[in-house]
Amino acid sequence: MDCNFRQTQLEAYLDGELERADARELEAHLDDCAECRAALDRLDALRRELRAAGLRHTAPESLRARIAATPLTAAPGAMAPRRMRDGVWRYAAALLLAFGTGGVSVQMWNSARGADAMLAHDIYASHWRALAATSPVDVVSSDRHTVKPWFAGKVAQSPTVRDFADQGFPLVGGRVDYLGAQRVPVLVYRHGQHLIDVFVLPPGSALSPATNAREAGYALQFVALDGAPAAIVSDMDAHELAAFAQLLSKAPTS
Amino acid sequence: MNAGTANWVATLAQQHLDAAHNLGRWLLGNEQDAADAVHDAYVRAARSAATYAGGNARAWWLAIVRNCCLAKLSSRKRETPLRAVPDAEPGTLSEVEDGAHIAQCRTLLAEHLRALPTEYRETLVLRELEDLSYREIADVLGVPIGTVMSRLARGRALLQRALEPVAQEQDHGL
Repeated sequence: MDCNFRQTQLEAYLDGELERADARELEAHLDDCAECRAALDRLDALRRELRAAGLRHTAPESLRARIAATPLTAAPGAMAPRRMRDGVWRYAAALLLAFGTGGVSVQMWNSARGADAMLAHDIYASHWRALAATSPVDVVSSDRHTVKPWFAGKVAQSPTVRDFADQGFPLVGGRVDYLGAQRVPVLVYRHGQHLIDVFVLPPGSALSPATNAREAGYALQFVALDGAPAAIVSDMDAHELAAFAQLLSKAPTS
Repeated sequence: MNAGTANWVATLAQQHLDAAHNLGRWLLGNEQDAADAVHDAYVRAARSAATYAGGNARAWWLAIVRNCCLAKLSSRKRETPLRAVPDAEPGTLSEVEDGAHIAQCRTLLAEHLRALPTEYRETLVLRELEDLSYREIADVLGVPIGTVMSRLARGRALLQRALEPVAQEQDHGL
């Protein structure tokens, strides 16, 4: 496979659309090829610029209100009495959405365009990419003494690895993943049917507790892992996530 | 149309109203036309809700919005005139103050995006601003995924080339 082909793969990779196996292969190539790394950095920079530039035109309130106030024309054969009731419900639903879901998502988008949001976005993308893959881990082991050394040489700093099997969060393994164009270690845990990714971030990462957010049923929580900033991503409910975050940040260093 | 269908369309439209309006803005170039097209799409979506055959609802809704935008475009009897984008003048950029420089870069970025041919512009908007997957974009545009990928690659290359003089002048670290 030549670099020209890799170049076309880079975009799919950055968009989180590359199959796991292909992504792995590309990452291995990236470690060796400065040209492709530079190309990935350029693509990443353009994407960040596009997303940071406030180019998205959110819908004005006038349009939202106009839509909410528009009665939907019944298809032929619809019953008149029901239309009346439809209207009421539709209006209620539209209002709820406008001030509920809609408002919140607009808020999230508008207020969170900074580095925080960009990082959170990358973390979600990375997590979802892993979920779609055949295996979310590269080193499968419940033994922290296997997982920690595995990271050595693959990332600048091996993260602290602990197992929480006794507390219901067994260690599944680890992988090295990209956040944007940056390589980070990821610890993978399991809780019942939920897969949990713990992204260990480079020191001084922009992520802060303010970033904690849910997206499409997945939650992101910031935590300090033995002094290093880390982010937990999972589809666990809030209680389980909080419990796990506490374990992670409180457990004694070994 | 029953209550469920009406609710579904209303919910869907409100939930993805920003996406619809943003797509309309980038296709039509102004707020009024975008709002009118989205409103048309809303009415049309309700009428054709019965034809929704499962799959990604956001893509289905945005496809209708796009069709209404294209209809409006052609009813204007002319393509939106592509604005000529002035080349960045490296000589003057170093003199402007940092914040103004970044603002200028962003304005430039918007202008370059606006100047892209429609097919690249809409693909980039759906991917970068609306965060749609390749599959969703393919559904909205009614083209194969391979076409989505080549349009993204081409669009990005065009933007990168257009921005090059600015990037060389000053790395503003975005």
